[in-house]
This record gives sequence, C-alpha cells and structure tokens, in this order.
Amino acid sequence: MPDNNAATATGLRPAEAGPVAHPDTTAKWFLISSICYFFIVGIIAITIAAKFCWPELLGTVPYLSYGRLRPLHVNGMLFGWLLAADMGLAYYIVPRLCGVKLWSEKLGVATAALWNVIILGAVVALLAGLNQGLEYAELPLPLDILVVVAWIMFGVNIFGTIMTRKYTQMYVSLWYIMGTILWTAFVYLTGNFATELTSGVNQANLNWMYVHNAVGLIFTPIGLAIAYYFIPKSSETPLYRHRLSMIGFWALSFVYVWTGAHHMIHGPISQWLQTIAIAFSLMLLIPVWAVVYNFFATMKGQWHQLRDNVPLKFLMSGVVFYLLTCFQGPMHSLRSVSAIVSKTDWIPGHAHMAVLGCFSFFAIAGIYYLAPRLWHTKLHSDALANWSFWFIIMGGLGFFVTLWLGGFWQGWQWNNPAIPFIDTVKALQPIWLVRFFSGVMIFLGIVMFAYNIMATVVGRKAYVQ
Amino acid sequence: MFSKADNSAAWAVGLALVMFFIGGLLTTVVPPLVDKSWGRPAPGLKPYTEIQLKGRAIYVREGCWYCHTQQTRTLVSDTKRSGWRGVDSPISTPDEFVYDKPHMFGTKRTGPDLSRVGGKYDTQWHRTHFRNPRDLVPGSVMPPFPWIVNDPVEFSSLVAYIQTLGRAKDWRPDKDYEK
Repeated sequence: MPDNNAATATGLRPAEAGPVAHPDTTAKWFLISSICYFFIVGIIAITIAAKFCWPELLGTVPYLSYGRLRPLHVNGMLFGWLLAADMGLAYYIVPRLCGVKLWSEKLGVATAALWNVIILGAVVALLAGLNQGLEYAELPLPLDILVVVAWIMFGVNIFGTIMTRKYTQMYVSLWYIMGTILWTAFVYLTGNFATELTSGVNQANLNWMYVHNAVGLIFTPIGLAIAYYFIPKSSETPLYRHRLSMIGFWALSFVYVWTGAHHMIHGPISQWLQTIAIAFSLMLLIPVWAVVYNFFATMKGQWHQLRDNVPLKFLMSGVVFYLLTCFQGPMHSLRSVSAIVSKTDWIPGHAHMAVLGCFSFFAIAGIYYLAPRLWHTKLHSDALANWSFWFIIMGGLGFFVTLWLGGFWQGWQWNNPAIPFIDTVKALQPIWLVRFFSGVMIFLGIVMFAYNIMATVVGRKAYVQ
Repeated sequence: MFSKADNSAAWAVGLALVMFFIGGLLTTVVPPLVDKSWGRPAPGLKPYTEIQLKGRAIYVREGCWYCHTQQTRTLVSDTKRSGWRGVDSPISTPDEFVYDKPHMFGTKRTGPDLSRVGGKYDTQWHRTHFRNPRDLVPGSVMPPFPWIVNDPVEFSSLVAYIQTLGRAKDWRPDKDYEK
C-alpha cells in the first residue's frame, strides 16, 4: 500500500472551493423540506410521548391513535427529516469533492419533488391504517416503488457527478456516499419486496436484516460521510489519518450486514444464527472505534474551538453519542444483557441516541454550517443556534438516560415472575412523564433550529463576504 | 487492494458490494435452506380461517404489534409469564409461525406478550377491555378502541384471531380453553 503521506492532498482534506459555480437548487429544496418535516413530525413525537402518560388523549379518534401515530413518527423522522437532510447535504458535498457541477440539477429538483410526494403519501397512508405490518417497512407497495424510483434518480445524479470528477483521488465522504447508495438499494429491496415472498421466521429474519441495516448501512454511512466532511471543514483542521478511515469504511462494509438476527436473541430463531449475529455485533466495535478515534485525534489541540463553533458542538457531541450507542449495540446482543434490556424501554432510549443524538446532530451541524453559505448571507442568530444546541442535547440526555434507567429496572422486574405485569407498567409511569418533558425540551430546540434557518433564508441580506 | 478503491470508483463500488454480499447472502438466503424448521408447520398448526385473517389485518392496521410481542423466549420468566394457572408455557418455536404474514414477533413490550393469550379471556372480557382497558386493568396505558367494539364484524374477527394465539401447542393440561 502506498504511504498515507502521498495521499495528503485530498485524502486528509475535503477539497477547497474551486472556480466552479454551484447553483445548489437541489440541496436547498431537500434541506428546506427536511427541516419542515423535522418540526411537523416533532409534534407527533410529543403527542405519542404524552399518550404514555395520559392514555385517553385523543383516544376516540382512530386516525390519531397510538398505533397509527407511532409509525408516522418513525417513518416521518427517518425518511422525511433525516434521510432527506442527508441527501440534501450529499447534493452539496459531492460536487465540491469532485470539483465539478452536479450532474443534473433538473433531475435533482425532480427527485426532491418526488420525495415530498412520497412523504405526504406516507402521512395519508399511515393515518388511514394502511400499514404493511413490518417495522420500518410500513409504507404500502406503491409508495415503496416510488422510493425505489427516487433512490435511482439520486444514485444516477451522484454517480454521474463522480464519473465526471476532476480530482482523481476520492475523499472518504465519497466512498461512504457511494456505499450508502448501493447498500441501501439492496437493503431496501430486501426489507420491502423480498419480505412479501416469505412468512414467519424467514420473513422476520429478512425484516431484521433490513431494520438493522436501515440504520447500519443507510444512516450510518451517509451520516459518517457528513461528519468526515464537516468536522475538518468547520474546524479547518486536516483529518488525523487516512488509513484509519479506510479501516473504518471497509470493516463497516463487511461486518454490518451479518447482525440482523440479534434483534431476536432468545427468540424463535435458530440458535446458531443468533450466535453469528452476536459475534459480528461485537466486531462492530472495530469500524466504530477506528472512525471515532480518527475524529477525536483530528480535534487534538483544537478542542477550544468548541467554545463558540455551534456546528462543531453538534458534530463532536454527535461523535460521542455515536461511540456510546455503538458500544450499547454490541453489548445488547450478548445473551445475558439481552435477557434484561430486550423489549424494554431501554431500547427506545438506545435508538433515539443513534438517530437523534448522533445522526441528526451531524445533519443539523451540516445545515447550520451550510445555510449562510448556500444563501450567501449570515446566520440569523448565533445565540439562538447555541440555545438550540443546549435545548436538544439536554432534552436528549434527559430522554436517553431516563429510558435506560427505567428500561433496566423494567427488565429486572420482568425477570421476577412474582411481580404481576401490570405493576411493571405502573412502575414506569414517572419515567414516561420525565420522557415527555425531555421530549418537549428537544422539540423546543428543534423549533429554535428550524426558525433560525428559515429566518436566515427568508430574511437574508446580501452581506459583503 | 483496498488502496485501489481510493482512486477508482469502479473498484470502490465492486469491492463494497462484494464485502456486503458475503454476509448478506449467508445470513438471509442460506439460513432457511439449512434450517428446515422455519418453513415446516407445527403438527397442531392450522391455516387461518377467513374471519381470523380479517381479525389479524385489524391487529396489523391498529399497530397492536408496536406494544405487544408474540414470542415466548428461552427465558424462565417468559415461560412463567406466558403460562396459565401455574403451568409454564412452552417456548415459541419457528414452526408455529409458518402462516404468519406479516410476522408479528414485535420488538417492544409496553403491554404483555401475547404469544399464548389464545383461550385465556372470553369475548365479554375482550369487549369490555377494548372499550376501556382501565375498567378491567387499572394502571394500564393501552389506548381505548371504541371503533372496533362498535363494529360487530370487526370486533368478532379480532377476537377470533386473538383466540388462535399460541394454540398450535396444546399445552394446558385440562384443556380449559375458551370455546
């Protein structure tokens, strides 16, 4: 292998802005619509958190019952907010790293329009109870097909840009974005189409392969692509090591897909498959620690920048949450730990740390960094941006930690069959109340973030750069 | 090998797919071929009737599976909690779920597991419970489902489905199932 130092020019630094003029229309449309969904779906999130405390709330309206709002919350946040925001950021990052314009801005805008049609269709379908009954794959078949079409449009545009690139060496973020597009295609087809041909345990196995890799091979690689781009950019520091990023990427590509069955530890699925899933879950520590060490070492001597750099605050706390969530994951897969935490409220605490604490933080950081640059202006309010960070992180920590404590306690109670089940429900009431108020705090942070970006866009003035 | 992927998109793409497909194929396509019990119905398992399927569709539509699992795991406490009048329930096995499409194993137990609930409570109990769960179980956080109880066809289909759960194994010694 060639020495890393030879690769310093583009291997350790995202390319500087070249002479190419980027219109960025697609990126803008994706980012603006994703922020709208972040806010709207946030209201649904608070509503379902409230239903745990006040179960009669909106109880006689079928369209607003818990069982219909929960999939809307999950799908809305995953696909309406996070994936759309990540795609918007990719539409910005890829042309810069390639030194050329986006392959087709028209195709990009059409993709953004189609994506909004899908999300609005999902809202109608899920409230009407048109639910396919598989987690993360709730959307009915016509919408699944539209998702595939939109993904192909996204892929063509990104690969088209990469094919015409000016810089030969590809920066890490480009590998991750290419990986995301390819893996997602197969993971999505497995979870939404192959499952239709199977039933029972076989279907569950495909379902968990999809659910696990929706996070592991969609949100993780595209989230890391964003972190790899914005951490060096917003701190103006080169990446620590090129080889570490390679270890992280190739280990992730090999290890992640094996772990689906760890969602059914102790369940009715072959023990040998559970053991394989556990072994590979533990191996996840390799790519995670390689990536996290690379980011931390990049910040060496630069930590003081966190004092007043809001995007960097989001990025580095996102990295800490990434480290924590990916330590929890492998540990949960151990049979002894699973016997306590599996199926409890610990799990939503863990899931929210991954999707909100880590990947949404990366996306928010990217948007805060880009908004002034995309619209050639200044951020509406730096102070408000700082407040939004503290509200989301404090609310988030309240949410995660409370559910871990509550879930662990719940798991211990379940393992003592002398305790009637309903008593384990009553025991969690105070936990759910704290979760609700933490959720309100997160939501207030989201409102500040969304308002700040919208005010930047709408009230922009041309500043002298 | 991996360094080549630095400068060549074709290498990066090819290698990323090869790495992915090794695990992808070995964990999705191979297991049902190796483990035949995934597709062979249990001796006591009957295909769902039309009315039971209708009830199952309601269970899917209302998202019951977000809060109720359907698996008695290989844990002592699970077999006790799924048990009945001091008799431990058998653990769930793949052959009991062959006709389940979509599968309803679930990931979260906000409410109790339902893998052996069939035959435990009668129609009148379910009617009252669906109308307002707290009338029968104080402290419950289950939502009320008046629109199901008020529709006789929907209600009887849903109850018909619930009464099938866990019945592939005839484990209750005096066969005291609700008829």
